[in-house]
Amino acid sequence: MSDSFHIKLDGKSVSASSGETVFEVAKREGVEIPTLCHDTRLEPVGACRVCLVEVAGQRRLQPGCAWVVTPDMEIQTQSDRIERHRKVLYNLYKSDHDLDDARLPLETGNGNQLRELCQTVPDMNLAPVEAPRSDRPMDDNPYIQFEPDLCILCARCTRYCDEVEAVNAITLSNRGSATTIATAGQRSLIDTTCELCGGCIDTCPTGALIEKKAPKNLVQLGGTESVRSTCNFCGVGCQLNLHVQNERVVKVTSPEPGETLNDGNLCVKGRFAYDFIHHKDRITEPLIRDANGDLQPATWEEAIAATSAGLNRVREKYGSDALGFISSSRCTGEENYLMQKVARAAFGTNNVHQCAAT
Amino acid sequence: MQKPDAQREKILDLLEHAGGVTEESVRQVSEDTGVPEADIWGTGKFYSLIDTPGKRTRVCDGLSCQLAGADELAASITDSGKACERVSCLGQCDLAIATLTEEMELKTYTKKETSITPDDPELAINLAGPVDLSYSALKKSISMGAEAVIKEIEVSGLQGRGGAGFPAHIKWKALRSQNETERYVICNADEAEPGTFKDRETILRQPHKMLEGLAIAAAMIETSEIYIYIRGEYGNEYDSINRAIEEAQTQLAQFNFTVVRGHGAYICGEETALLESLEGKRGMPRLKPPFPTEAGFRGKPSLIHNVETIACVPSIIHRGGQHFKDLGRTEAGSKLYCISGHIESPGVYELPLGVTLDELVEAAGGYTGTPLAFSPGGASSGFLPISMRALPLDYKNLAEAGSMMGSSGVVVLNDTVDMAQAAGWQLEFFERESCGQCAPCRIGSRYLRRQNDAYLKLGDPIAFEHADDVAWEMEEGSICGLGMVAAKPLDSARKHFPDHFKTK
Repeated sequence: MSDSFHIKLDGKSVSASSGETVFEVAKREGVEIPTLCHDTRLEPVGACRVCLVEVAGQRRLQPGCAWVVTPDMEIQTQSDRIERHRKVLYNLYKSDHDLDDARLPLETGNGNQLRELCQTVPDMNLAPVEAPRSDRPMDDNPYIQFEPDLCILCARCTRYCDEVEAVNAITLSNRGSATTIATAGQRSLIDTTCELCGGCIDTCPTGALIEKKAPKNLVQLGGTESVRSTCNFCGVGCQLNLHVQNERVVKVTSPEPGETLNDGNLCVKGRFAYDFIHHKDRITEPLIRDANGDLQPATWEEAIAATSAGLNRVREKYGSDALGFISSSRCTGEENYLMQKVARAAFGTNNVHQCAAT
Repeated sequence: MQKPDAQREKILDLLEHAGGVTEESVRQVSEDTGVPEADIWGTGKFYSLIDTPGKRTRVCDGLSCQLAGADELAASITDSGKACERVSCLGQCDLAIATLTEEMELKTYTKKETSITPDDPELAINLAGPVDLSYSALKKSISMGAEAVIKEIEVSGLQGRGGAGFPAHIKWKALRSQNETERYVICNADEAEPGTFKDRETILRQPHKMLEGLAIAAAMIETSEIYIYIRGEYGNEYDSINRAIEEAQTQLAQFNFTVVRGHGAYICGEETALLESLEGKRGMPRLKPPFPTEAGFRGKPSLIHNVETIACVPSIIHRGGQHFKDLGRTEAGSKLYCISGHIESPGVYELPLGVTLDELVEAAGGYTGTPLAFSPGGASSGFLPISMRALPLDYKNLAEAGSMMGSSGVVVLNDTVDMAQAAGWQLEFFERESCGQCAPCRIGSRYLRRQNDAYLKLGDPIAFEHADDVAWEMEEGSICGLGMVAAKPLDSARKHFPDHFKTK
């Protein structure tokens, strides 16, 4: 049960419920509080300091992502103090970040929210700090690349790997300005518990984690067309956004967390196994072997007729139990149901199985 | 997400026993504890005593050791072909230069011995006094009951002596108001503020005052669980605590003491980082609230006190709060002041809270050379000019002067010192000891150190063009107290010693 009460947000009285954070209330009210380290799927840590706001009665600025509202609390999201804070903070981030010729944070194929924030404040031209953050040059995993000079150490990737995936393949390592994202022994991700789900890439706000397969300049190339689809690698029904460029899928992401049943998550297949779509060996129509054993194009009617004729032949010669039916883990529950129906009702055998059942 | 039965609190000790962080040691510790390998790797790599295997001599680069020529000593060790690492203050400023040998034993390069205030039974801690094994204050406090005891603590005006100066009785009351009955008393013996070695002397000379204070606190908040977190570099002190627990096992039979060694991280003296470290994690401070009194060790209410604070408690119980309060001058109680640097007899002096620098130095045998500056409470307090020698060294007056009482680790610098160089040493300390969690501290401390280096090299104050903005942001935007004060040494040196930062 949650109590409802009022707080003051930038001088305006708004309603809120117990347990809500400043960030949540502000979002509902259409007041934008910038943040980099926040992901609704993760416990707030207030590490990036971008979302600091003024709370009446508090001497220090407080992180909106973690600060829980109480009745009559007064919050200020805009002030000279907050403006100065953001200006210096963003400029500090810039001094610790790869910049382009316009002195803005570099943008990889995965975007860079820091770049957007830095465009809202004047450039202080701080000298680069050249932080000694190590990367993993020997990491030869096929999908995920880490660029330490684009990392802001918000730890969304490590927290995601821990709190959402429960995989714990990556960690914050070292200390101070040498802090970096590491694996145990700095091994390649494929030699760790990593499942290559790529969720770390997805949650990274600055593009320090990049898909090795996707074009590096995806953002600069201009928008891709986004096509909503359903993943067909298994029966869960995860929703996908297929990013299409020149009629080719160049990247796959999940819709935003909270929108679909997969809550922003994908597995290694859903995110990375899209090469088959445009593969030259992909089977796009039914094929039936001719008398010489060569595959020849056919219609669906012909293919189904050939299949049922073959199955019936076996049954007539050896009996129903000479047949066995195995359905794929890519089938939905409904499809699996139909498969056992075919086995039992049409062919009279209980020899039916599903490949994910073992 | 680790398994519910994983033994995370053990991992740092296991890594240390295995000789430090390696792929093999991490794999083994993961198998033994059920904690994921990456978590063990990342945690181990946080702590400087275990992050890199291999033997080496560790040479302190704290302010007093630098003033005594630690750079030359380190160079001579390296020249002799031995491995040498520069490390943050080892808490032996009175015995500078301090080193830890390859066997992790303390070796100091001085002819002096630690000076302390002579035996005076009036004093709260009285380092030179006889050791009292009676534990009569514990018995008395139990017969008085919690309310009366906390009342005496309140009357005494006892403030947290680790640096924050928070009134002790408020924490005790907060603990007693919790519904949760699993509670902990935790002693912060992670003394690592540069210039500070008072807890070291308390533990070596009067460990029973600390143990008795902890026992009283535990009895009053109705728990038997007491943890002592002591910095890993304090080997003799660790032994002293264990010896004392052994000596008093009859008197302390109803309490469970656990002594936990740190593994090399200044930030773990920050109370929430200390809790993380106790739980086998990277020592990154937590967001507050919730405060430890509500959700501390293992998420349970925890009463955390510095060694000196808790060691004052038996005296308060024996002689009453008012007696303790009257021991102070501008604020309550007698206070252990550490003093080192350019003075005659470095050591720990127990004096009325609120003495002036001149009085403290007089107790310590006088200045050597012409005094120029002093750092009143560790690196975090920055520098003050010697013209403030008459300022009472207490929480209020030092805060108003833009400095802080901190851990009362006073270091005196005479006019042979270049203040830009002295600020540089302190900046280097904060950069190395920043936990790296939040950007203002992680980036800001490195930025300021590099800009100060640039000034020292080129002599052009343009290096400080943005120093004020960055320092402001570090204070405003950092998560914890370390980041808030990390710019202080440079900030205060530039303010009070502009001549040392001119174009050269």
